[in-house]
Amino acid sequence: MTDATTTQPGIKRFIGIDWNVGALKSAGKRYWAFVGILGVLIALGLTAWYLILTEGGVTMAQRDGFTWGLWFANYMFYVGLAAGGLVVYASVHLFGAEQFRPLARLAVLMAAVLTMIAVLGDLTDLVRVWRIYWFALSPNLTAIFVYTGSAAGIYMTICFIDLWILITGKGGEKLAFIMTLIALPFAIYLHTTTAFVLALNKSRELWNTAVMVPIFLSSAIASGIALLLIVAYIMQRFHVLEFTSKMFRSLSTLLAMVIIIDLFLLVSEIAFVYWPTSAKAGHTLRFSEFLTGPYAGIFLPVLILGIIAFTLLARRKTRHIPAVQITAAALYVVAIFLKRYTLMSMGFAIGVLGQQQAPYVPSLTETLIAVGLLSIAVLFVTLAAKVLPLRVPLHDHGEVTSPELAGQPAEPALEQEAAQ
Amino acid sequence: MSQNNPLDAGRDERPDNATAPDGTTFTRRTFLQGVGLAAGVVAAGVIPAVLTAGPAAAQDATTTAAPTVAAPIGTEDPLASILAEDQPANYPGHPVYYADPAGPEKWAMVIDVKACVGCRRCVYACVEENNIGRTSGFTFIQVLEMEAGKVDLESAVLDYEEAGRPDKWYLPVQCMHCAKPPCVYGCPVIATWKEPDGIVLIDYDKCIGCRNCLITCPYGARHFNWVHPEVPAAEVNPKVPLAEKAWTAEKCTFCVQRTRHGQTTACVEACPVGARKFGDLNDPNSDVAILLRTRRVWRLKEEESTEPMIWYVG
Repeated sequence: MTDATTTQPGIKRFIGIDWNVGALKSAGKRYWAFVGILGVLIALGLTAWYLILTEGGVTMAQRDGFTWGLWFANYMFYVGLAAGGLVVYASVHLFGAEQFRPLARLAVLMAAVLTMIAVLGDLTDLVRVWRIYWFALSPNLTAIFVYTGSAAGIYMTICFIDLWILITGKGGEKLAFIMTLIALPFAIYLHTTTAFVLALNKSRELWNTAVMVPIFLSSAIASGIALLLIVAYIMQRFHVLEFTSKMFRSLSTLLAMVIIIDLFLLVSEIAFVYWPTSAKAGHTLRFSEFLTGPYAGIFLPVLILGIIAFTLLARRKTRHIPAVQITAAALYVVAIFLKRYTLMSMGFAIGVLGQQQAPYVPSLTETLIAVGLLSIAVLFVTLAAKVLPLRVPLHDHGEVTSPELAGQPAEPALEQEAAQ
Repeated sequence: MSQNNPLDAGRDERPDNATAPDGTTFTRRTFLQGVGLAAGVVAAGVIPAVLTAGPAAAQDATTTAAPTVAAPIGTEDPLASILAEDQPANYPGHPVYYADPAGPEKWAMVIDVKACVGCRRCVYACVEENNIGRTSGFTFIQVLEMEAGKVDLESAVLDYEEAGRPDKWYLPVQCMHCAKPPCVYGCPVIATWKEPDGIVLIDYDKCIGCRNCLITCPYGARHFNWVHPEVPAAEVNPKVPLAEKAWTAEKCTFCVQRTRHGQTTACVEACPVGARKFGDLNDPNSDVAILLRTRRVWRLKEEESTEPMIWYVG
């Protein structure tokens, strides 16, 4: 490395990254108040987890009939949101979509953090989590949890490594490309195995469908892009990063396309359940719980919000307006959360012995853990926005495959450029 | 734990051949007279099949009953394919810590749904035998009150109050000890397995509490101890684990603590109408082997290909 690491005040160099610790010192009161609130929420989540570890599963609202609850909806939701990183990886490094390059570090950071809280949510739900070492000692190769659990762990690690590579610029564009080739299959593996957690159960009729995998991927990618778009706007609002309106246009066009695919798959699955020549009494009875029954209030919005979001993004006259893009993206993130929640409920609303289950409402401990985990993710991104060089250097844009740039570190920090 | 069933009245009032799903006229009284009497059983198996007219039924009768009538037991055993399928799964090579080693048997159960009056005595006997927490909120056996004319779980009632209704029939459901157990396949850490004698057991000291087995089981047979199982000190069965079951999954064990010592299961013993038969499929003279050879039996959710080791007959 040629740079002499002329560390500026407040910049600490560690594992090859310039950590801007000084930015924290100069951060305003509102920033610290926000961090403080997150800290309190995380502490509450830890308390709730302690309760589960000491008092057992009875502190949760899940029961034999409603075997899994909020944590599982969140697991699917977060793993899906992490797909935003996958889209940016693939489009920048494989398809040369240069307009997304400024998003790269943010997207990869988010993918890593979201996968992390997905895994943590899984772990905090295990009632005897201290026996988790059996996963390594005697993994059952026919159990899908072994695959999705390890996939999440590996994907999270790859994302953190990739973030490091993107920031330090080690290996240049070539290594970034290789990392993409490694990360992409693992991302698809993670999403597929997560869908398999549902689809591979012949005992749960509404889950047991092969369309679960594509619909999981489309929902994941749509919600991932939508969240990325929202966070990008937030980062821009707080002057952490700048993007062109062209980038937002590309992102929202992509979002609209994936939303319509997602809706199409959902509608075709519904048609399959109800069409007289394919309808099975168990399926239609269970699905009716969601179309007209007690769960309609959370399932119908999935369709309605999706259609609204698509319409907003498709309308030529207004789709370039940031507020419209943000609204559409936010609606779809909410829609996908509701979709994950109803998808979870679809396995349980009517039990395997045909018995109607009492509707599940998360207990206080479950809610606090979920909020605490979300706070961890927000805290990570909030701190990273100050401390980590998320901004992709200007010279890193454009055709980067030129030999002069390939071996050069992408990040002797922006401050150095400014100093010159 | 109130026994709200006028059991004897139910037995007497109920027509013997009221609601058998397959329309056979095999009576409960015949059943009670002893299924061990092979001749009687064979007759009861063949005659009603011939009586229920229709070429399919007749053909079925010849294929099902012919080997028993024509050929001596053992030459062409219709149980062979069942026995071949009922192999250990994920068995770690030693029995689970609270059980004795499995013998050469292949355990199976046959439940006569025509005889069952839904009194739930099997349920209560099972709770007492197996240290099921009195406040845990589950029982290993769930008896469903079924509507006449169909095997429709969605219209079944689990928490019925009046047993022995002549217009209903009763379907006891518990762990089927499947030859292809989805719960065993789905356990991420191999904390549950199928032992060589066909019994699916759980290692309570290994279970991580993920509840995936509750998800994969199509019979709702697995339950989770969300609380510490509470059993009055005087009622604790010392042969069955108790404290270590806290925060783990559990289910019917075919009373492994009894059946591996020559006893039958608690539910079989408790059944006042003899609707339950338990035995060794390897033994051609066992009740279950005779019933499977001679009667038209069916299994719950056969389409799930789990190959349950509990059959129903009615």
